[in-house]
Amino acid sequence: MNILGIGILFSRGRGIDSYENALKDGWQRPEEYDIPRINKKTLAYMVKPEHMEDKVLFKKMRRADRFSRMAVIAASDAIKDSGVDINKSRTGIILSTAFGAHQTTFDFLDDIIDYGEVQVSPTTFSNSVHNAAASYIASALDITGPTLTISRFFFSFQSALQLAQTWISDNRCDHVLVGAVEVCGEVLRYSFYKKLGTSEDGMIRPFNLTHPFPPVPGEGSVFFLVSDKSTENAYCRIDSVDFNSGAEYKEKPDIDILDSAGMTEGKTYLKSLSLSVPVTAYSPLFGSTMTGSAFNCAAGALMIKKQRQYANPVTDNPECLNLISTCGTSKIDSVRSIGCNCLDENVIIYLRKTGI
Amino acid sequence: MKKADIRITGLGVISAAGTGISATLDSFRRRERNAVPVSIFKTALACPVFEVKQIPDEFIIEKNRTLGLALYAVDAALEDAALEDLAGLRVGVCIGTTVASQLNDLEFYKSYRDTGDAPMEVIERFLKSNVSEFIAHKFNARGPALTVVNACSSGTDAIGAAFSWLKNGLCDIAIAGGADELNLIPLCGFSALGIVNQDLCAPFDNDRKGLNLGEGAGILIMETADSAKARGASSYLSVMGYGASADAYHLTAPRPDGAGLEISIYKALSEAGIKPSDVSFVNAHGTGTTDNDLVEGKALGRIFGNDIKFLSTKGFTGHALGAAGGLEAVFTAAGLREGWIPANIGFHNKDDAIPVIPVMEETKINGRFALSTSLAFGGNNAALLLGRV
Repeated sequence: MNILGIGILFSRGRGIDSYENALKDGWQRPEEYDIPRINKKTLAYMVKPEHMEDKVLFKKMRRADRFSRMAVIAASDAIKDSGVDINKSRTGIILSTAFGAHQTTFDFLDDIIDYGEVQVSPTTFSNSVHNAAASYIASALDITGPTLTISRFFFSFQSALQLAQTWISDNRCDHVLVGAVEVCGEVLRYSFYKKLGTSEDGMIRPFNLTHPFPPVPGEGSVFFLVSDKSTENAYCRIDSVDFNSGAEYKEKPDIDILDSAGMTEGKTYLKSLSLSVPVTAYSPLFGSTMTGSAFNCAAGALMIKKQRQYANPVTDNPECLNLISTCGTSKIDSVRSIGCNCLDENVIIYLRKTGI
Repeated sequence: MKKADIRITGLGVISAAGTGISATLDSFRRRERNAVPVSIFKTALACPVFEVKQIPDEFIIEKNRTLGLALYAVDAALEDAALEDLAGLRVGVCIGTTVASQLNDLEFYKSYRDTGDAPMEVIERFLKSNVSEFIAHKFNARGPALTVVNACSSGTDAIGAAFSWLKNGLCDIAIAGGADELNLIPLCGFSALGIVNQDLCAPFDNDRKGLNLGEGAGILIMETADSAKARGASSYLSVMGYGASADAYHLTAPRPDGAGLEISIYKALSEAGIKPSDVSFVNAHGTGTTDNDLVEGKALGRIFGNDIKFLSTKGFTGHALGAAGGLEAVFTAAGLREGWIPANIGFHNKDDAIPVIPVMEETKINGRFALSTSLAFGGNNAALLLGRV
């Protein structure tokens, strides 16, 4: 399965070029956002309103919530980025998320509390349903293939990617738009702050694996257009998505990318790494989210396509890992994107240069 | 499309119609409609719902009804499949839901709104409540796991995803289906959408006035034929095809021409390698809403002809949302196994706009193939083709 196009929306912009610029430029302090009910400001990697303006795309979805709009932008951009004229009836959609449109759910709870059970808004309810965003993608892009929304707290994106591979293999689709979306509403920021704390300087330290440093919540959306057929503009091939296959290398990659983002203890990562393979992690660019793997996968795909490595945005290295410290051209044939959780489970996405 | 021999080796079910497959079929035979006013939470909305009377004690999960329902159905299905210990087996878990995936605890949110403080144990509980992750950890299933949140087609789509896993060798056995609890939030939401019936639902009836909400869990144990044979499990039922499509039309209304549903059904038939005339009956989505039943009835008539035997079981269970597809897959499998289907309870008068008439009495089935359909919020359509080997 090949990655033909990538659409991405995150705190520093929209589009794969914005993401590459962030990878080149390195870490920037995120902005502060209010949590009004506790009269506190906390740092968060939030998508800015100016990056979400798109009158043409949103023409058919004026009532859509923020979660759905973020999803549609990334999905649409993934197709544009690929340059492929997709067969819309043979294209599937798989949207993965951990928390879904939770802010819209809380808006609906506001309705119930403020106006009573019989005066609630049907529109708010409709937007709060988990699969509304995938439905908006289908409508906005006129895609009529299978459309699925999946939810897990761990490995949601990797599970979606694995399923996309089976859809293509089963000949259910020629192309699949597969991606991840998270929003970080007020209640989630509050919960992050209360449960995990928030890094006071706004910096995520992904390599503090034994003693995790506090996270900084993030949000955004990433979509990939994937297919078994490659194109001239393709990024790379996804060789496999392996769950709990053990820490051993099938084959040593050129770079390992960790999904670590300060949300759970990361000792399991250490079992997966070798000092001979350079390591990186890009959560300090997009924030701590349960589906950060999609952003890291996009970084891995860019590295292979551009034959360029990107320096770690944050270099605190208490475990003395072999971190990538410089940006520049580099021969990169394969990248592993590694996700681990606190239950000693892991998922490894193997990315490889097309044609190898 | 790849061919594969995927067997159904176990069934587990719980709904207002009964706890366990045997009790459920007895309830169907007696034409029982166990609808009651809401009793499991406080609400100002006075409409009949189909509550599960009692989750057996050993399966109750405190403050998480969906997990309790899922746990019961999975345990029953594993027992039916004679799978006591999953250690060393390659088992995936794919379960559909709606309510369990949402952080919608009203008391938690009220507390946050009123005091700026909210109990983090609610968050802790929510983070442990992803249905498939919970079931996978509970039964030590180490294969792929995902929770499908595709609204009302979640259960059907979960079985479809597990079907793809098995066909592609990602696991040898899959625990698949749907689980959902009755909950205030969708009750308010569906009421606001104007599709909740104040009386008992009447799927496909001329005078239908909407749906009744329900709850439950329906689980299939799906298994490659090689796996079933290797462990000596006998099975005469199989999953043969799955089709899905998006209407790309409207968030809350089905496409009026039913084209999306039709495509899904033809995809499922094609994957199974059979013709419409080979299908002995259809377990339709049949919610009892004006739009759903009209669109679905027309599509069934176009594909299968006006004499197709079909029914909706929602008159017995209510619309159990994310569980519906799982429940109805179990009922479809049971229909093929038992050789009969129950009456489409609630139907009395034909709608002239719908060319087909559901079965009005318990009906014998002779064929080998049956279809279960789901239409979901957001314009998702899904169809599952089951067979008797």
